[in-house]
Amino acid sequence: MSGKTSATTGQGDWGYQRYFQRHLLTGTVFLLILGWSVVDLGISPQLFLSGLPHFFNLVREMFPPNWEVLASGKVLWSVLETLSMAFVGTFLGAILSFLLALFAANNLALSKMVRETARGIMAAERALPTLVLILLLVVMIGLGPFSGMICIAIGSVGSLGKLFAEAIETVDPKPIESLESVGANKIQVIRFAVLPQVLPSLIANTLYRFDINLRVALFLGVVGGGGIGFDLHLAMSLFKYADALAITAVIFIMVWLAEKISDYLRKMVIGREVLQ
Amino acid sequence: MLAVKGITKKLPDGRLLLREISFEAKKGEFIGILGESGVGKTVLLRCINGLTTPDSGEVILNEDGNPQKINGKKGQELRRIRRRIGMIFQGSILVKRLSVLENVLTGGLGRISTMRSLLYGFTDKEVQAALSALEKVGVKHLAGRRAETLSGGEMQRVAIARALFQEPCLLLADEPVANLDPKNTEVVLDYLKPLTKEMAIIAVFHAPELVSRYCTRAIAIKDGTVVYDGSPHLSSSVLEYIYGTGPAVKSA
Ligand SMILES: Nc1ncnc2c1ncn2[C@@H]1O[C@H](COP(=O)(O)OP(=O)(O)OP(=O)(O)O)[C@@H](O)[C@H]1O
Ligand SMILES: [Mg+2]
Repeated sequence: MSGKTSATTGQGDWGYQRYFQRHLLTGTVFLLILGWSVVDLGISPQLFLSGLPHFFNLVREMFPPNWEVLASGKVLWSVLETLSMAFVGTFLGAILSFLLALFAANNLALSKMVRETARGIMAAERALPTLVLILLLVVMIGLGPFSGMICIAIGSVGSLGKLFAEAIETVDPKPIESLESVGANKIQVIRFAVLPQVLPSLIANTLYRFDINLRVALFLGVVGGGGIGFDLHLAMSLFKYADALAITAVIFIMVWLAEKISDYLRKMVIGREVLQ
Repeated sequence: MLAVKGITKKLPDGRLLLREISFEAKKGEFIGILGESGVGKTVLLRCINGLTTPDSGEVILNEDGNPQKINGKKGQELRRIRRRIGMIFQGSILVKRLSVLENVLTGGLGRISTMRSLLYGFTDKEVQAALSALEKVGVKHLAGRRAETLSGGEMQRVAIARALFQEPCLLLADEPVANLDPKNTEVVLDYLKPLTKEMAIIAVFHAPELVSRYCTRAIAIKDGTVVYDGSPHLSSSVLEYIYGTGPAVKSA
């Protein structure tokens, strides 16, 4: 009995059987990996339970949060530092990504070598963990928000560049041709036929990336990038848990607000698209 | 003005679409191209401005006694020739997310420096010229609208305005009135016709009666070759041959 006949009649257990067979192997492999990981991490109920007293201790020391740390203005300054690290880094990263994407897109008829090089750069960046990148940058440029900003910019190129290149590859080719027909050069074609078509998607993706980069900026603070992430790290290291809780509250509000705002902006950009 | 010499074009599947197509066009002429759907009219126009490369034959644009071969040209040289050839595409192809006015202005990109176009440096004079091109085809009131919000007929007229703003010496038009109602068909063709004082126009039509009313000459293509080249008033036997299986006729 061939699968084709029973599938076309729409009868029998063909679909069910095949489904089961196909996924039996995948499922087994998945369970094996999961099991091995649990063993490897040494996850055990005892460990968890023995950690509980520490947890309650920590919570007790955290309350009440020491709001006074916010009074000096130092924390606000750190928030601004983190925000601008993420903002400038994302902006710079978006520009770099767009330039790379122009070279990487396969519909702009650049040479194959250029295209492969651009794609190679993006793939290499994606393979490079942020932690490695910031450690390299700290060695090269030194500690501080500037390193963090550069790290965010470079760190965005792999994913944003790929998304941008894909957006460019899906543009309608006819307006490109119609501009070529009046004698427009490549740069003019990009400016007047490609950019208008991809701009909403570029903006939406960049806003989305900003949300991610704000979290990266917090994390980079811990590793030496400065900003509010560093303040939190410092408070924890000095066992000032009440300070840490106040700072955490500030971080929470910052991330929450930033996401709301970028969501709103993204909807505005995409919403306009749908309307027109 | 334009000489098309022995254009031959094979399709990717090996079918010979155009075979040894030759004709000339002079300033003042309004040539109507007729032929069945799929016969290769669009491909022929594309070969003329170099968007498609023919397998053999050549296209020569001769303006002010300075003949220039189009095929085989690349980069800057090709762009300089294309600047002189306007093209109205089948189903007018505007940049949908730009405004109508901007779309018309793109017709001038060939003569604007890269730097200026990057900085969006269109001059007042250029904007005025673009607006007056829109006015001539009766859609000046749409200047500020996004191209994607236009109706098919409005888009078609904007595409014509764009070609006018380009100020070409040769205008290629692929079914320029296909999306228009009878009234606007007349408006547009009445507008195109006098332009032949400055240029040659080669336009694809599906309606022989429009060719006979507006064109100065008709060229018909069948089975990849020119089967008729002459008076725009085609007899019914010629038309039968072009669109059907009537007996062969000699050019008038
Ligand atoms: N890039 C291409 N690849 C493959 N086939 C093509 C290509 N361009 C055109 N063709 C084929 O060549 C033939 C002629 O196409 P063309 O668009 O020139 O026809 P046309 O005479 O303009 O028809 P219509 O009146 O319907 O516009 C068609 O069969 C079309 O499928
Ligand atoms: Mg066609």
